[in-house]
Amino acid sequence: MRLFSRRVHELSGAYALDALDPDERERFERHLRRCPSCAEDVQRMTSTATALAMAVAAEPPPGLKQRVLVAAAATPQLPPLQPTAAKRRQGRRVIRSAWFPRLALGVAAVGVAAAVVLAVVTVSTQDRLDTVQAQNRAIAAVLAAPDAQIATAKSSTGGNATVVLSYAQQKMIFTSSGLPRLPNAKVYELWLLSTGSAVPAGLLPQPTDGKTAPVLASGLTSADKVGVTVEPAGGTSSPTTTPILVMTLPD
Amino acid sequence: MTIPTGPQHRISRAEARGVPAPRPDRSPPPGDDTDLERLLSLVARGDQDAFETLYDKLSGPAYGLVRKVLRDPAQSEEVTQEVMLEVWRAASRFDPARGSASAWALTIAHRRAVDRVRSETAAAEREQRSAQFPVAVDDVAETVEASMDAEQVRRCLDGLTEIQREAITLAYYGGYTYPQVATKLEVALGTVKTRIRDGLMRLGNCLGRSW
Repeated sequence: MRLFSRRVHELSGAYALDALDPDERERFERHLRRCPSCAEDVQRMTSTATALAMAVAAEPPPGLKQRVLVAAAATPQLPPLQPTAAKRRQGRRVIRSAWFPRLALGVAAVGVAAAVVLAVVTVSTQDRLDTVQAQNRAIAAVLAAPDAQIATAKSSTGGNATVVLSYAQQKMIFTSSGLPRLPNAKVYELWLLSTGSAVPAGLLPQPTDGKTAPVLASGLTSADKVGVTVEPAGGTSSPTTTPILVMTLPD
Repeated sequence: MTIPTGPQHRISRAEARGVPAPRPDRSPPPGDDTDLERLLSLVARGDQDAFETLYDKLSGPAYGLVRKVLRDPAQSEEVTQEVMLEVWRAASRFDPARGSASAWALTIAHRRAVDRVRSETAAAEREQRSAQFPVAVDDVAETVEASMDAEQVRRCLDGLTEIQREAITLAYYGGYTYPQVATKLEVALGTVKTRIRDGLMRLGNCLGRSW
């Protein structure tokens, strides 16, 4: 056993330089978890390898930066690893920090979060509170989806909308800010659009302080766009006016 | 891009707290790593401005390293893009207890480059590419002008035995596995393992003293 582990230990240099094949790499990583002195060696040698990398730095091609930044803006981030038991006891704060970092677009995330809070403070009765809490849980689930993505678009009448969507859950959350307040006989209606079809996806509540509370829409399967039209109060089954906003959803 | 040589010795967090620095012969991570750690923690929260700054600091070493391994400029650009996106995507997984921010990012870069060069098609084209984009083993310092880091690395590499130096450069810059290195250098497998390990230790000590 001792001879075996000493032989494995000798692989630490090759491991730090990625010079092991996948099987051996995995075997060594198993060993590493049980061998603190190996981990220390590897960390030290990896730091040395980093100096070898720094020494060959070269100017990246022009244009790469822009492509990377654009791609990053559309790429959801991994959540931090599961909190340990000790951290879990802190409760709510951990839950919040677990789903907030997933949102790639800081500003949009703040908008959605503000809207979620707004939905909570506008309720009055216990019944509505229960409904809203269930909706907030569904919203939190979309926000926390590993494949969550964000899209934004401007309205032709002023204001803009932000959508967080998860194709895995086939759901999206729609929020808006700055949309003009409508007369009581009118309402903003949300549509899931695909070629030749518009499926009703809910009515937007009247804006409060310029923002509409989040609307959760399900059945996000074939739609590639989201639209908003102004309709008679109560909504319609198909759009009767030109959309004030059309948002192309990310792939 | 110029490699950030920075102040010769930054005060680490541990030292700032009055905790003695770890072993004096340990090579400190190259570059301004306290800054990189701070940036990475912002990036983990989706901060795109921080990511842009991080890109400016890491894309040069990442691209240079990937290009050193892959040779082909177009493939190197593609892989560097994957690497930088992985840095964005996985920023929350960086653990400062397990190494510096630059070591974390450049490990991702090296793994991606090595995975690419070892993939089947890459292997078939490898010899051809080596001929097409020749890079001498000893041109370590030539891609970057007047870089202190590169100077020191070259000098410290010169201080190794020939087998140590060749085994390390073939494995790291060439992307070869250690059995392939053994075949190329015509030495026993066990010899390659220990030469790589001893060579890296020696290199680390040399770099540690000069920083």
